Amino acid sequence: MSQAIEFLVPRESVLSRRAAIIADLADLLPPECLVHEPRGLAPFETDAFISYRRVPLAVALPRTTTQVAAVLKYCNRYDIPVVPRGAGTSLSGGAIPQEDAVVLCLSKMTRILEVDYANRAATLQAGVTNLSISEAVGIDGFFYAPDPSSQLACTIGGNIGMNSGGAHCLKYGVTTNNLLGVKLVLIDGTVIDLGGKHLDAAGYDLLGLVCGSEGQLGVVTEATVRLIAKPEGVRPVLFGFETCEEAGACVTDIIAAGIIPVAIEFMDKAAIEICEAFAKAGYPLDVGALLIVEVEGSEAEMDAMLASIVEIAGRHGVKTVRQCQSATEAALIWKGRKSAFGATGRIADYICMDGTVPLGKLSYVLNRTSEIVESFGLRVANVFHAGDGNMHPLILFNANDPIEAANAEAAGNEILKLCVEAGGCLTGEHGVGIEKRDLMRYQYSQADLAQQMEVRAAFDEKWLLNPSKVFPLDGRA
Amino acid sequence: MLIPTSETDAAYIVRDALSQGKRLAACGGGTRAGFGNGVEAAELFSSRGLSGIVDYDPAEMVMTARAGTPLAEIEAALAQNRQMLAFEPMDHRGIMGVRAVPAGEPTIGGVFAANVSGPRRFVAGAARDSLLGVRFVNGRGEVIKAGGRVMKNVTGLDLVKLLAGSFGTLGFLTEVTFKVLPVPQAVETLVISGLSDEAAAKAMATALSLPVEVSGAAHLPYTVRHCFIDGRLPEGEATVLRLEGLAPSVEVRAGKLAAVMEAFGPVSRLAGEDSRILWQEIRDVVPYADGTQKPLWRVSVAPSAGHQLVAALRLEAGIDAFYDWQGGLIWMRMEAEPEAELLRRYIRALGGGHATLVRASDPVRAQTAAFEPQPDAVALLSARVKQKLDPAGIFSPGRMVDR
Amino acid sequence: MQTSFTPEQLADPQIAESEKILRRCVHCGFCTATCPTYVTLGNELDSPRGRIYLIKEMLENDRPADEETVTHIDRCLSCLSCVSTCPSGVDYMHLVDHARAHIEKTYRRPLSDRLIRSLLAKILPYPARFRTALTLARLGRPLVPLFGRVPALAPLAAMLALVPKAAGRRASRSVPETPGTGSQKRGRVAILSGCAQSVLDPGINAATHRLLARFGVEVVVAPGEGCCGALVHHMGREDEALEFARRNVDAWIGEMDTNGLDAIIVTASGCGTTIKDYGRMLRLDPLYAEKAGRVSALARDISEYLSTLDLPVLEPRRLSVAYHSACSLQHGQKITTLPKNLLKAAGFTVREPAEGHLCCGSAGTYNILQPEISGQLKARKVRNIEATKADVIAAGNIGCMTQIASGTAIPILHTVELLDWAYGGPEPVKLAKG
Repeated sequence: MSQAIEFLVPRESVLSRRAAIIADLADLLPPECLVHEPRGLAPFETDAFISYRRVPLAVALPRTTTQVAAVLKYCNRYDIPVVPRGAGTSLSGGAIPQEDAVVLCLSKMTRILEVDYANRAATLQAGVTNLSISEAVGIDGFFYAPDPSSQLACTIGGNIGMNSGGAHCLKYGVTTNNLLGVKLVLIDGTVIDLGGKHLDAAGYDLLGLVCGSEGQLGVVTEATVRLIAKPEGVRPVLFGFETCEEAGACVTDIIAAGIIPVAIEFMDKAAIEICEAFAKAGYPLDVGALLIVEVEGSEAEMDAMLASIVEIAGRHGVKTVRQCQSATEAALIWKGRKSAFGATGRIADYICMDGTVPLGKLSYVLNRTSEIVESFGLRVANVFHAGDGNMHPLILFNANDPIEAANAEAAGNEILKLCVEAGGCLTGEHGVGIEKRDLMRYQYSQADLAQQMEVRAAFDEKWLLNPSKVFPLDGRA
Repeated sequence: MLIPTSETDAAYIVRDALSQGKRLAACGGGTRAGFGNGVEAAELFSSRGLSGIVDYDPAEMVMTARAGTPLAEIEAALAQNRQMLAFEPMDHRGIMGVRAVPAGEPTIGGVFAANVSGPRRFVAGAARDSLLGVRFVNGRGEVIKAGGRVMKNVTGLDLVKLLAGSFGTLGFLTEVTFKVLPVPQAVETLVISGLSDEAAAKAMATALSLPVEVSGAAHLPYTVRHCFIDGRLPEGEATVLRLEGLAPSVEVRAGKLAAVMEAFGPVSRLAGEDSRILWQEIRDVVPYADGTQKPLWRVSVAPSAGHQLVAALRLEAGIDAFYDWQGGLIWMRMEAEPEAELLRRYIRALGGGHATLVRASDPVRAQTAAFEPQPDAVALLSARVKQKLDPAGIFSPGRMVDR
Repeated sequence: MQTSFTPEQLADPQIAESEKILRRCVHCGFCTATCPTYVTLGNELDSPRGRIYLIKEMLENDRPADEETVTHIDRCLSCLSCVSTCPSGVDYMHLVDHARAHIEKTYRRPLSDRLIRSLLAKILPYPARFRTALTLARLGRPLVPLFGRVPALAPLAAMLALVPKAAGRRASRSVPETPGTGSQKRGRVAILSGCAQSVLDPGINAATHRLLARFGVEVVVAPGEGCCGALVHHMGREDEALEFARRNVDAWIGEMDTNGLDAIIVTASGCGTTIKDYGRMLRLDPLYAEKAGRVSALARDISEYLSTLDLPVLEPRRLSVAYHSACSLQHGQKITTLPKNLLKAAGFTVREPAEGHLCCGSAGTYNILQPEISGQLKARKVRNIEATKADVIAAGNIGCMTQIASGTAIPILHTVELLDWAYGGPEPVKLAKG
């Protein structure tokens, strides 16, 4: 297990009262809603950022907002840290617990409470998975736009925590742009409603602040999200290029031409091979880089848009252009792309970066990324949302080799610094979590960070909510 | 009026005010100065001295500008590259009438500080959704950066959203970075005539459930219909639906939409320039740019609740209203009293939302909370947030809180 | 993910294989979403990822199974939905097999649990015993509510509730039509007559005989074959399972080496998954490894075999079929479209229920051992099926058929029964009744 990133020292005052705390929690929750046996706690020790692990004190699996409030109120009274968790799919360690924390896992809160087509809104419990929203309303011609690759498993609560994005954000925006309201439980157990089916805030945009706050401001138990009418047609098209530079330049030119497809996804050779092995989607294996460009709308619109894109791709020496012939084929193309991270597990362990850079710097950053990773004696696979410059280099390593593991982390840090230097940011959609916490100073000054921390403290004065995350441990107020 | 010409200058002014116990009322061009609750004993603190586009790469669809840059300058630069602000910020000068500082120009900082959004808001997001990064001076006189200049960024707390729509009460914006979009090649508007408010709500909801990408949906009852495009809209109430995009696509979608809308009422089409002017007039609320000080409310509710709210109020007060955002945004002019209590009671009864008093005479403003009063827990939280950004309370105290 | 086994541990081939499986898991969590128990219970411990963690911990520390671990492994249906979902290719099936065997070896279950498990293991795989038990069970049905109230007896109640009300149709074990009537002989296959299915619904194999014969395929039952071993295999009773496997391997190899076989046809997909795995199950047995591999290579689900026969496309008929995809078919054997295509070609309108990837809760003896979760899954499955408003349900596995039939009034048939009918066989009794 990696050790470079420190966690807060567990509070002795909490650890020493473990038995009493568990007994108290057992009074607040039904038996099947509380995990406290050591064996049962171990599987909660990490999320999809598996290099770091901490076994929590207990896991609460509440079914209702009232139970969430009761647990938070209790933890606040006795100064017990709380780590909120959805499906535990965070790639930045956002849901990794700590030894003195109660994990508040909302995976039992999975009801779709209301679907309201007249107002194009759906209200859900926080544990509802992202994909199941679109599945529930798809039959009536609607969908929920943000689509993180883990959308099959990740929950809307987790999406709000991380302000998750996805492939189709290029046109439809990320979670914060599609979130209408939340029911939020504050650390003292107070339940508040922010937003609703109406637009904009009456006062300060607390909803906007809560979205992406990584479980540090409160625990979302319900969300109202915007539904969108499904386009008449969608068409993902594969563009194969010899080199990453050509593909990168093509992306820049597409956007510069004022064409905004729904998605532009990028895969390099390594990623193409990995994804094809799993999904058998028919990605060309004889190219150095692949763009998946998806257009949508009426046939006329798709044709017009594609014609322009094909023309631009031609200028960049595109080698193969393949339009998919059926819905099944389209689904496979996306299945391959969305499974990219997991499929990488077939060949190696990996850590996934998430820096975003200005489009003009895409090719440069791609090249430098390869150089950096190779300088650490490791390999990299690139698969990412090119249209908005959100890169996901996957650094491949062997987790059973401590030196490789340390090198992978070091290479990752270098890549993220590079993204910031290029005018971008540390994380586009995965969140800071534990992974990028200590790099925050590369992006923000002490004053910037202090301001954020103070605002955080307005919600959680004692720093009990997910306290090891987001903000560097030193220099906290 | 304090008019800093650099960020350092602005920070100095704030620190100076802090040491002297002075209060500052942030503003840009002052064209929205009538907003919010009155602020007592504060010196105007304008960003108009911080002007100019700092960085604009059309290929990346991102612009950075100093907060005091006139909106007109920004829009001109964008227009040269066939780009635009997706959120269509409204120009408040018309409805504010005499209140507008005669020399003032709307600024980009003011647009974001007031989170000003137009007809496209309900599908393309508010000003806050386009805002990628800000620089501001907080109440301690420190220069703070939040967000950045890339489209996707979840690094740290999203103070950008917090600053947007805070009306200068949390910090003094010095620079904003925002995304822009290409101007649609073609625009066309379908007009369905003669619908009641209720039928219009149904028609608009139906339109938005179709795969035709409606980018504007407003209902103009008979009392206001004649105010638009010099009265050239067809007879009767007008329910208007906007389509934008590539010309051939708009044509196809308009056909599809019209076919469905015919079930609601007679459909006619409005092309090109007329269409553009119509949506600009809806954006700028021309029917109530009437030179009066009659109380004017901007009400945001669930789209399906809009017409119910208006119907309920009509029975008890003299009002005139029209709808944008598929019926969820109601511009409501009161013929006499502001009727804040009544209005807000009905909003609660109909599932929630908020009403903001954007215009009223001074005596009315003095007695009426401009912003929707918040539940205690939310108000308390908001006050704590304000305290963290502006500990001494020097930025426009009272503007956003209920007195 | 990282593992920590000692070189000594890795010398054990079982551990070495499980270590390889574990190393592939990247803990992405995708599997949780399609796991029926996680979807039902909402607890990581009842998800594949949670179980993998529990198993890893147990094996790494080489410790006996404990109650907590056993509880959550027991709740696994072995539906293998996670295997279909997993992008990393984690071979959960063999990992959980290993864990079950480890549990059986190192954990002493409570008395009532032991009794019921050994009862099932002693009866279900043996048709004669099972038939007698069914008769007795029908007499015992009035006791269901009584048993249901005592937690330890819940499995007994569940078992009785599942017993079909009518006697297992003594389907006209009509003499199979002579192969080659009207067409030349196209193949020779052995059919698994197996155990429980032959008692619960002999009509399935009868229909298979008729249909294959009609298209020129000779169907034989290899002397000596019997239960495939899946039932005990899923209870972790490894030695018993291997015994069943060896016996069947002997029977089929005998047939292959004397009269020759083109395929071994399985009409219960739960059994098919296991038979296709014989090669792996017996890989460490030098006497059987190679033979078992040959058997596995020849095993075919009936829908796979029929798809090679190019059955004629028939006129559409006015009957809608909700196709229930058995987990052992779709996840275990990755057969998803073949049965639907066969039904469509035979003229049926095929409807696909929502959440088709979720298990119906049958899962071998799961509906007896875990009646509560099984009941919830059944209700959910029936809800989804009934929403299709189909006239009839088709499935390729007797376990699912029994389970679903106990929850809905829509008749449920084996896919092959509908095909036999469409291609000239008698109308299935269940339809004629309606």
